[in-house]
Amino acid sequence: MSQFFELLLSGMMLGCIYGLIAMGFVIVFKATNVVNFAHASIVMLGAFLVAKWHGSLGFVGAIAISAVVCAAAGALLDLVFIRPLRRRGAGIDALAIITIALNILLGTQLIRMVGNDLLPSGAPWGAKTTSLLGADIPQARLVAAIVAIALMGVFFLAFTRSDWGVAMRSAASDPEAAALMGIRLSRVAAGAWAVAGALAAIAGAFFVSFPAGGVSNATGLLALSAIPVAVLGGLDSTAGALVGGLLIGVAQQLTAGYQDNLAFLGRGLSNVVPYIVLFVVLLWRPSGLFGTREVTRV
Amino acid sequence: MDEVAEQSGRRRPRGDEPGGAFLAVTDLNVSYAGVRALRDVSLSVGEGEIVAVLGNNGAGKSTLLRAISGTLPLQRGTVDSGSIRLLGKRVVGLDPAGVVRMGVVQVPEGRRIFGDLTVEENLRAGTFGRVGRKGVGAAYERVFALFPRLRERRRQRAVLLSGGEQQMLAIGRALMSDPKILLLDEPSLGLSPQLVDRIGDIVRQINADGTAVVLVEQNAAMALKIAHHAVVLEVGSVALEGPARELSATSEVRERYLGIAGEDEPRTITAEPIKRVTSGKRSPRPLGIQDLTVRFGGLLALSAVTLHVEPGSTHAIIGPNGAGKSTLLNVLTGVYVSSSGSVDYGGSELTRMRPPQIAGLGISRTFQNLALSPTSTVRENLLLGRHRLSKAGFVSAGLRLPAARRELAEQTRIVDGIGELWGLGEVIDAPVGALPYGVRKRAEVARALCAEPSLLLLDEPVAGMNADESAEMARSIVQTREALGISIVLVEHDMPFVMGLADRVTVLDFGKVIADGAPRDVQRDREVLRAYLGFAEGSHESGEEEPPVSAPDAAQEKGETP
Repeated sequence: MSQFFELLLSGMMLGCIYGLIAMGFVIVFKATNVVNFAHASIVMLGAFLVAKWHGSLGFVGAIAISAVVCAAAGALLDLVFIRPLRRRGAGIDALAIITIALNILLGTQLIRMVGNDLLPSGAPWGAKTTSLLGADIPQARLVAAIVAIALMGVFFLAFTRSDWGVAMRSAASDPEAAALMGIRLSRVAAGAWAVAGALAAIAGAFFVSFPAGGVSNATGLLALSAIPVAVLGGLDSTAGALVGGLLIGVAQQLTAGYQDNLAFLGRGLSNVVPYIVLFVVLLWRPSGLFGTREVTRV
Repeated sequence: MDEVAEQSGRRRPRGDEPGGAFLAVTDLNVSYAGVRALRDVSLSVGEGEIVAVLGNNGAGKSTLLRAISGTLPLQRGTVDSGSIRLLGKRVVGLDPAGVVRMGVVQVPEGRRIFGDLTVEENLRAGTFGRVGRKGVGAAYERVFALFPRLRERRRQRAVLLSGGEQQMLAIGRALMSDPKILLLDEPSLGLSPQLVDRIGDIVRQINADGTAVVLVEQNAAMALKIAHHAVVLEVGSVALEGPARELSATSEVRERYLGIAGEDEPRTITAEPIKRVTSGKRSPRPLGIQDLTVRFGGLLALSAVTLHVEPGSTHAIIGPNGAGKSTLLNVLTGVYVSSSGSVDYGGSELTRMRPPQIAGLGISRTFQNLALSPTSTVRENLLLGRHRLSKAGFVSAGLRLPAARRELAEQTRIVDGIGELWGLGEVIDAPVGALPYGVRKRAEVARALCAEPSLLLLDEPVAGMNADESAEMARSIVQTREALGISIVLVEHDMPFVMGLADRVTVLDFGKVIADGAPRDVQRDREVLRAYLGFAEGSHESGEEEPPVSAPDAAQEKGETP
């Protein structure tokens, strides 16, 4: 039982990180209607930069600079690739496929730079664990969960209360009407990409910290699990990103923890489980847990 | 009325006198992908004026507004030549946000409110076009004073508002940036007559507060009543212009845009007989609806509705916004599930069937907001309507086997014939998305007819059309019924249109049948006058009253633009 509780708790903490990654994904989708597959490699970029710079800047300093760089990278992707194509009439399907291509390009470059190394994130908590309600929890994960929840809270408030949030939701609801009200769509879009990039960097740094070994050439692939998380929660719901993250984090930890009992299903089930959970949930709710149903007029 | 007369009688400065006009559009040419949409259009709006822009669907009214508001690029349109000046400054080339900051704000057609934002957030979004934050509080006060309903419902999500309230929110949202010029695109579209009058009063009041207004309207009667000056567009050019009072007196405008053809002429529609294109036997059966009730959560959308449609008759269902008309059609086609009651079509119980099975019985419908694929041609859309009658399977059609090819040729012949009858012959190869709204509406009906129905359900076939176009639609509907002998159920807003067309009329209000009978009798029913036109006992004060919107209608009204 205590093993189950420990797995549940660590699964939830992993889930918070997933939720944070998925939230960036959701923000871009909400604001610009683009399904941004390149988000996974921006997560890896963020983690990679933190691993590179923590020696000179310290862990927190490296995260801050990495977040700035990733925000710029996100905005740049929007400016250079998405906006010109959209202006020429590319649909959301074409734009999604462009982001897959960007993900492959950026991911390949990062893999080349990482090589076969395992670059530690430099998180100051190392492999230390803390006893929480009788379960041993890695300190890095605990901090990650706190940071993730705090950031999500801040963004929830920004969404609902700030001018930025209202402008973004207006643009998401009806871009043409928003433009007619004087909202600059290009600014809203670039802002969303930048915010998503910054969130990806922060999440990435924690994603590769203990119990993960560090940035490896598989980090980008593992971060792709955030896509089922976002779809599962409902592509346009920030609350869904968190709940989806928790679900998938727990499912992944449990399948990894009870791997021996599940051996008949083969090894490495925990990497597949996000997609299995996604499949089951979508059968039950096709627009995800919190997604707004496509309203078609009849 | 006096002040209107006085202002419209005054000599106005024209666009070519610099500094005279507030907004001056000069020799504007606009095209979409090489197709010319506006030709040398000039328009000038003086300070504090209301200028009405009238014309048929596809005449270029919306294009003109788009050119002014800078949203043409979003529709892939370009300004080829000509100029638009606001207080002498060029507007062409600015993005929409730039135009808003110069003081020109457009209320888009179909309201386009932000449905999942609250009323207050919608208004807040309207403030982002202001140049400074000063005066925001006063702007809220002005809008709430103009529309007290919005203050009451400020915390609600906008999608839950009724159609009329949504229009008020759309106007209020635009006023939040204190525009010098307000561009209104079809503000009365889809509203009941009493609300149309109210919108007219509101526009007048906004104008009296010092905002110039450009009013694009399908409802020429309302627009000409409140405007100082009017311009009539025809096929992209200015056909007529002048003071609104003078224009509304010309016989051309009276006949074509006001639908006044001599009052004593009875409004029965006669039509030339037409040849049948298809040979399929149509045997319309009686349709009986008994105690039909539909609930959405706690909301009663239809309550014990009972009505009978005789085979081969035209039966109209009318009622104000949110009365349950579209809900009824959706139950008939199996899209909504009824809570209780029965719908019998010649012995088949429709409430237990799924949409494809119902279509299989020969019941076919059109959609209020058009359900055509915009990138496919008219012919392809019509062929889709014959899907039920096609025999070629996936494999034989995919491999283009001879049998499938023969069938396609035959289907194409039928479809072209039906298209011809509905005046679509010339545009049969054009993508639907490029056609004017009125033509698309006709294509929508033609598509439904391609399924060779014995019962045709029409959902607001003349919504958004002017008098001219609805008369043509009425003629085509009569022709079709005469030739095919099918039953037609017609859901409509436009009472006069229905009266000349239907054999029997059922009036819904709040989901209940409040009258049922011959058009002549229903028209005089006191209950109907009160509910639908809002003026029994001569009480104009009840203009505030609006039925609560039913859940499905609210969702429908969200995306009114096709």
